[in-house]
Amino acid sequence: MSQYIVDIQGLHKYFGKLEVLKGVDLQVTKGEVVVILGPSGSGKSTMLRCINKLEQPTGGKIFLEDIEITDPKTNINRVREQIGMVFQSFNLFPHLTAKGNVMLAQRKVLKRSKSEADRVAEVQLKRVGLGDKMDNFPAQLSGGQQQRVAIARALAMDPHVMLFDEVTSALDPELVRGVLDVMKELAAAGMTMLVVTHEMGFARDVASRVVFMDEGVIQEQGTPQQVFDNPQNERTKDFLGHIT
Amino acid sequence: MDRVSRVSRLLLGAALAATLLFAGAAPAFALVGPKVTLDQEAGGQPTRFTFVAVTDKDASISEMDFTFPAGFDLSQITLDGAQPSIDAVTLEGLVRTPVTIKVTVSGEKLALRFSPSVAASSTLRVQMRDVVTANQGGTYPLKVAYSVETSAADPVAVQQRTDDTMRFSYRTPTLAETASRALDNNAFVTNWNSIKALGMFFKPQLIVTSIPLVITGWFLALAWIAFAFPIAIVGGLGLAFMRMSKVPPVRWIAGGYINVIRGTPLFLQIFVAFIGLRIAGFRVDDNVTAVAVLAINSSAYLAEIFRAGIQSISKGQFEAASSLGMNYPQAMQYVIIPQTVKRVLPTMTSEFILLFKDTALFASVGRPELMFAAQNIVANTGNMTPFVVIAVFYLIITIPLINVVGRLEAKLAVSEHGQSPTDQPKRKGGFFRALAISNDPYRGMAPETISDDNERR
Repeated sequence: MSQYIVDIQGLHKYFGKLEVLKGVDLQVTKGEVVVILGPSGSGKSTMLRCINKLEQPTGGKIFLEDIEITDPKTNINRVREQIGMVFQSFNLFPHLTAKGNVMLAQRKVLKRSKSEADRVAEVQLKRVGLGDKMDNFPAQLSGGQQQRVAIARALAMDPHVMLFDEVTSALDPELVRGVLDVMKELAAAGMTMLVVTHEMGFARDVASRVVFMDEGVIQEQGTPQQVFDNPQNERTKDFLGHIT
Repeated sequence: MDRVSRVSRLLLGAALAATLLFAGAAPAFALVGPKVTLDQEAGGQPTRFTFVAVTDKDASISEMDFTFPAGFDLSQITLDGAQPSIDAVTLEGLVRTPVTIKVTVSGEKLALRFSPSVAASSTLRVQMRDVVTANQGGTYPLKVAYSVETSAADPVAVQQRTDDTMRFSYRTPTLAETASRALDNNAFVTNWNSIKALGMFFKPQLIVTSIPLVITGWFLALAWIAFAFPIAIVGGLGLAFMRMSKVPPVRWIAGGYINVIRGTPLFLQIFVAFIGLRIAGFRVDDNVTAVAVLAINSSAYLAEIFRAGIQSISKGQFEAASSLGMNYPQAMQYVIIPQTVKRVLPTMTSEFILLFKDTALFASVGRPELMFAAQNIVANTGNMTPFVVIAVFYLIITIPLINVVGRLEAKLAVSEHGQSPTDQPKRKGGFFRALAISNDPYRGMAPETISDDNERR
């Protein structure tokens, strides 16, 4: 058994002639919270989306535990069950209630019974602090509440790893905290997480490792203290200088 | 038609005469082949009776008495004036010669005296107008008694004969006909009809008589749609997926079908199906053909509505479903299609309204739907009222649906933008909304797809 939950080896991705990822190597062990930083266009979201093949990698290999995701023979839907993903734009199913959103894939993909799916949905929605909003439709929820439903929806599948793609970028500042609190709680509970974000505070407090990406490659990585307080790479220094 | 029946009557008379002569046992000097016809199908109204017979060889007729059944009213018969109710002519080939008659009416009996007598071997036609028949329908006898003068005997012999073999029949008037006749005698209705615009478009008598005649056409049109629209929904959905297929030939086939159907008039499609196929030797039931044409036409429009609807769902929805491990059919079935349905329901309802209205085009190939039924009555009466009547029948279906469209749109706005129903401006005026929809050049398109290069039929 591989020691890594996610193992990315020499990942390349082209959009047409544009090379977005130019050979990325990243290994994530169980329980790690990896925060990926970088300017826009640096390829960090693309890398995340390659992990569950929402983007088709052009070259390189990606493993989830012992399964090679990039192998065409792999049933990608079985892999995706084990990778939870939360999007910048929430992507809740607007025709279903909060609980319906959390139950749908449990029922149809994991084939859980209705009562089991219902029970799990309640547990996960309470966990993200929405025990009183279970029967509300997405349009009746604030952005922050919608994003927390999206997290509960991913968690209900019992994923081995969670991918967060700029999950607070579309939120009003006062709603960001609730989402970050949920993510902190998740990290504390030992969930393996890959987080693309611009929330430096979150990265500093929660990350077990910070990865700085630019121009399609990982420029620098290390503990938050190493990267934030003593960056080695010129680009990292430049980026952090602009942010803070 | 008139000529043909006259010729056939002559032939019939001649044949009967020949039969009687050869049989030898025939009563001499009779009327041959007496026959009566009516100009009305229903009883209880002034009716013209037309009596035709051939006088025998060597026998002329001087008098003739008609006895109508009990309950018939002869009091409306006028004997003087420019247009007397009763007239008699003899017909010889195409030449008709009026016969001078003296008429007396007593009870149910009509006595005619010819001067001079109707000559031997001639065809006699007597028209008796303004005979008010009894209300109760059925088969009735018309008795005729006549005096025959024969030149074969010397001195001229006069014989009295009767014939009670003639029968005629009519039906009891329908409720609508009875109502219409009651309206004929109503002073208000008479005044109403004297105003040309009212009498021409809103004649009460025609309103009551056309409703039962057009209502079957209404049901027929509804039945077509009831079959055609569900078929079109299934077909449209299939075409929409074909149109979005990753396999180019599949995409081309669907695209070609949709473009040809949407790019040609429905009128033309109807003609191809009804006349073209028939000439080509295919014989399909007319109603099946009508349903097929409507379904084929509508499926092309619905395909574009569905495709636009599916493509209007954000890519993120599909990604979210995929990230949860759903495969393509699952994502379609549980995530994309339910949202599409909600989004296309208003446009689909509009398409339904348009399809229902388009059934009127089938009048052009003689299918007895609303328009055809109304055209027939208009052709017979020269009055526009039946068109107004069918307009109401169309509106009974379309206006409630137009309101449904409005409500669906409002509800959609709520579910997609979280706006409460009270924030929506109240829609008013279904009738004018109906006009707006029928003139909408973007019929059948989801709002997201409307652009300048989308032309409507």
